[in-house]
Amino acid sequence: MKAAIWAEAVKLAGSTVGRVGSIAIVIGISVLSGSMLLAVHSDDPQLLAKLGPVASGDWTGFLLGAAQITGAGGLGGFAVVLAWMFGREFGDGTITGLFALPVQRSTIALAKLVVYGTWTVAMSVLLGLALMLVGTIAGLGGVSEDNWATLARQVALGVMSAAITLPVALAATLSRSVLGGVSVAIGLVVVAQVSVIAGLGGWMPLAAPALWAVSNGTEVSPIQLLLVLPFGGASALATSLAWQRIQLDS
Amino acid sequence: MTASLVASRATRVFASGAGVFDLDLELVHGQILALVGLNGAGKSTLMRVLLGMLRTDRGEVRLDGHLLSDAPTRAWARVGHLVEYPLAYPELSARRNLELNARLRGVVDIEASVGRIVTELSLEQYASRRVRALSLGNKQRVGLAAALQHDPSIIVLDEPTNSLDPAGVIRLRESLLRRAGDGAVVLVSSHHLDEVARIADRIVVMNAGRLIGELDPATPEIERAFFESVRVDGEKAAE
Repeated sequence: MKAAIWAEAVKLAGSTVGRVGSIAIVIGISVLSGSMLLAVHSDDPQLLAKLGPVASGDWTGFLLGAAQITGAGGLGGFAVVLAWMFGREFGDGTITGLFALPVQRSTIALAKLVVYGTWTVAMSVLLGLALMLVGTIAGLGGVSEDNWATLARQVALGVMSAAITLPVALAATLSRSVLGGVSVAIGLVVVAQVSVIAGLGGWMPLAAPALWAVSNGTEVSPIQLLLVLPFGGASALATSLAWQRIQLDS
Repeated sequence: MTASLVASRATRVFASGAGVFDLDLELVHGQILALVGLNGAGKSTLMRVLLGMLRTDRGEVRLDGHLLSDAPTRAWARVGHLVEYPLAYPELSARRNLELNARLRGVVDIEASVGRIVTELSLEQYASRRVRALSLGNKQRVGLAAALQHDPSIIVLDEPTNSLDPAGVIRLRESLLRRAGDGAVVLVSSHHLDEVARIADRIVVMNAGRLIGELDPATPEIERAFFESVRVDGEKAAE
């Protein structure tokens, strides 16, 4: 397992997709959130209405705005990297080299997920730090205890957003392509949005983390939030099994 | 322990009806066995079946006496292969790829293993370059290096001379002959009959997914003999 984790970490660290994904998630989301703060100074009432909680121009509004962006954009960014990690083995043809090894393919799949999980935790923490920096530069002043709790939820949202993308790994494996994984990622975002509109968000693992973060933890119960674990776990297990069973018959 | 790879009545049929049928093949240690056939004859499919990339519909394949599905990791650690695509990630340097491959194959002294194979296949000047920047021939060398760097006892190479320059072909030939001399089992497929005749102990002909016979590597005008065996088989099949 150690060898497979090392291999996957080296591949992700050396890749353009990994670097661009990291930048898009950390810098992209924090800059976008910061630019919404700039819009607070607009005199246009329509624009202010569109800003939602950010219109308050304080830490709370800023962090809730960042959570909204992370709920969709972060999920998409994580999913693209995950789709690439699995789908690229088929696109680049390197999958043939992952057979007939002393390391089982299910172990390689799990190693990919371990590396992905570690990377997403790192990105979520870095994003939290970047948001702190942006808020401080924007002159939002001192951070209250409540704001620290919101920031902690922001970091947790990042990690949970990564967990709910795990079906993308299975999709990239079964479709044997990055594109197949990305298509499912788009589908996950749509399902999450629709379930929120339909009022099912709390019970829908795809939507619960974002709903929890943007409602300051009030609209989603701990049990509802915990559903993310079996959802992600089942996806990881299915992916590992798919890698164990896969054949190169096409 | 002597390594072995044995297919017994191995059959794998695709939805199109193509595939490989009732293949009996035993790879003997110290021998280079060359698999020759026209495009679509089933050479790559056979190699995939032998390496567990495709499961058999009927029959079986055994690695060191174990069914492939039950083969222990120590048995797989003794296998080296290159089938269709080299295990070479384009974003990593050739050396990094070989380090990665060595770790996955459980090599203990990774640095020595990489150093040896880089020298053996003349990859010194390309070792620090990213694989995506290499020519097709040098990518193939990296793939061959990955297949051979851990001194496998069972070597399976699908058209290994593809894209190689003459110097690369000679290096590979010497490497395979040395490894077979040391007791390794070697299976190579190729379209280059003259080339395989230089190194093979046995040449097995495939046609339409079946093993149809053998050619003596010392046969004069071996290409003619090959085409004749394929023609005769085609006529038999048409009857």
